[in-house]
Amino acid sequence: MLRSDQILATVEMIQKENLDVRTVTMGINLLDCRGGDIEETCQKIHTRIVDYAGEFVATCDSMSKKYGIPVVNKRIAVTPIAFVGAGFFRDDFVRIAQTLDQAATDVGVDILGGYSAQVEKGMTNTDLEFIASIPEALAQTEKVCSSINIGTTQKGINMDALAMMGHTIKELAERTADQGGFGAAKFVVFCNQPGDNPFMAGAIHGVEEADAVLNVGVSGPGVIARALERLIQKHPEPGSLQLDELAEEIKQTTFRVTRCGELIGRAVSRSLGIEFGVVDLSLAPTPTIGDSVGEIFKILGVDAIGAPGSTAILAMLNDAVKKGGIFASKTVGGLSGAFIPVMEDAMLAEAVGDGTLCLEKLEAMTCVCSVGLDMVAIPGSVDADTIAAIIADEMALGMINSKTTAARLIPVPGKEAGDSVSFGGLFGASPIMPIRNIGKSSRFIAWGGRMPAPIHSFKN
Amino acid sequence: MLIQSPSGVKSMRKQMIISVMSKDRPGIIADITGAIYQLGGDVADLNQTVLCGYLTMILSVSFTPEVTKEDLLASISHIKTSSRFEVSIKELDPKQQDKVPGPPEETYILTVQGPNKTGIVHGVSLFCYNHNINIFDLATTLRNDQYTMALQLDLKHCNTSLATLQQELEDYSKQSGLTILMQHNDIFQVTNEVTLH
Repeated sequence: MLRSDQILATVEMIQKENLDVRTVTMGINLLDCRGGDIEETCQKIHTRIVDYAGEFVATCDSMSKKYGIPVVNKRIAVTPIAFVGAGFFRDDFVRIAQTLDQAATDVGVDILGGYSAQVEKGMTNTDLEFIASIPEALAQTEKVCSSINIGTTQKGINMDALAMMGHTIKELAERTADQGGFGAAKFVVFCNQPGDNPFMAGAIHGVEEADAVLNVGVSGPGVIARALERLIQKHPEPGSLQLDELAEEIKQTTFRVTRCGELIGRAVSRSLGIEFGVVDLSLAPTPTIGDSVGEIFKILGVDAIGAPGSTAILAMLNDAVKKGGIFASKTVGGLSGAFIPVMEDAMLAEAVGDGTLCLEKLEAMTCVCSVGLDMVAIPGSVDADTIAAIIADEMALGMINSKTTAARLIPVPGKEAGDSVSFGGLFGASPIMPIRNIGKSSRFIAWGGRMPAPIHSFKN
Repeated sequence: MLIQSPSGVKSMRKQMIISVMSKDRPGIIADITGAIYQLGGDVADLNQTVLCGYLTMILSVSFTPEVTKEDLLASISHIKTSSRFEVSIKELDPKQQDKVPGPPEETYILTVQGPNKTGIVHGVSLFCYNHNINIFDLATTLRNDQYTMALQLDLKHCNTSLATLQQELEDYSKQSGLTILMQHNDIFQVTNEVTLH
């Protein structure tokens, strides 16, 4: 039997605390779309996407209306395009990117991910052609997102690919200099990239997946922040509330948030007749005030984000979110951890501006959460090797700790530390993060080859 | 009970709905179910609530075909009690008995909150009636002069679209000064119950 107070608590969560489903992402297999030539391939890709996703946006909207919970983003992830276009060349891949962009527009989704390659151990000629196509492909398209997996815990890190990533990111930013280097915001480098992550820019439809699948990303930093504030308000006397009780509140709130996400995801999945994949439990902030992961740090007791204690708080937050979410959902996957994307989180961006959050602390924090150095705007003058080396550090964290890490760095052309950049919408805005020790890692990046896979015992 | 579970109906037996009101005291349920037990009745579902010291309960009970309403009334009237029972009994039509009363797909929860004043329940229930919405369940609380209603609604026969209804609720909310929100029943189930369905 439901009590009135339970009903009201749910109403509060949905209506007053901006509960939404952050994204419903349809994964579509394109492996069998390879035709005899590029035109035939593009035609098949377009047809496949429209066939599967033609009703996708309308169905999400109708479920959203029925349940009264907004689905913020409707997205598509496809099989990594370097596999789909095996044997094609740079310009062919740009054509595929344009086709993907057109298909995404035709079905009305916000973003399409999967302009990707997986090169953690070595690169084929196709991979090299594909990587060379990325700057132009992303500059010429609007909705296409790209990702490259350059490392795994099982295979180590492909240092040749890593060195190329620094240059790719620089070129992406420079080709979109009039938009503040926005091209780099659509590109992410991974270690241990999951094949069922619904969040962008790193969503792909992994080769281990079925023909089509629906994955859901829940949101909820705002809901959790408000729940914590309420609990703290109820215990004004010092010493009457302890950290484990706060963790419990996060856990229970995440349970509710996840349940709503799964309900909507499964309803869309049933309605479209497409298999339901996973709920990604990541706590994903938006630039909207009151929907920030950064705010939770302050509520939990540090006066500045990045102050000592921040990593410990994030560790607890991330763990509590997983505990609540895993029990709430039948199938959990993707990244499933708290995100700290600097530009997309108003409070984190503010901390960069205040100088309380530096790159090194951000890196430390990514050891205990997903997904990594995400949406960090850095000076446009930082050289490609330094960027590659920052990525190398982040990849090493993922490789050694058997977790997903990623880097989405935006070297904003013509801007230096202290300036700021804005992309608008969900991509947000931020002051430029100062980078120390620029130009001191080139010899390391120049080695190339592979960083060997780590030992899987003696884990200290 | 806001979330109903389908109650078992024994098709070969006669089903009765019994409503009892009395001043509250310990032992009322034991007395009433004792009278039912003596006649071989099987209680399928029971719902009771106490308001201002008065108890009311409604029971769904099945009997063998020869038991009549009069037998049951007589059995209850023989109970020795300090408080008088007001009893009403309805025999269910056998056709009705086949219907499983689980909530249909279009079940929504409406919450109404605002400062206490006369006519809130009437206004909201009239709104529902005007839209051909059936109220399955309704619970109200009054605390610190704030009145709260939670209603479980069946929108199956509602004569307007969901979007229009939401808009009209918003208009009614503005006009009445009450905070009125309507969400699908499933949302409340999944956020408050452990079982996934």
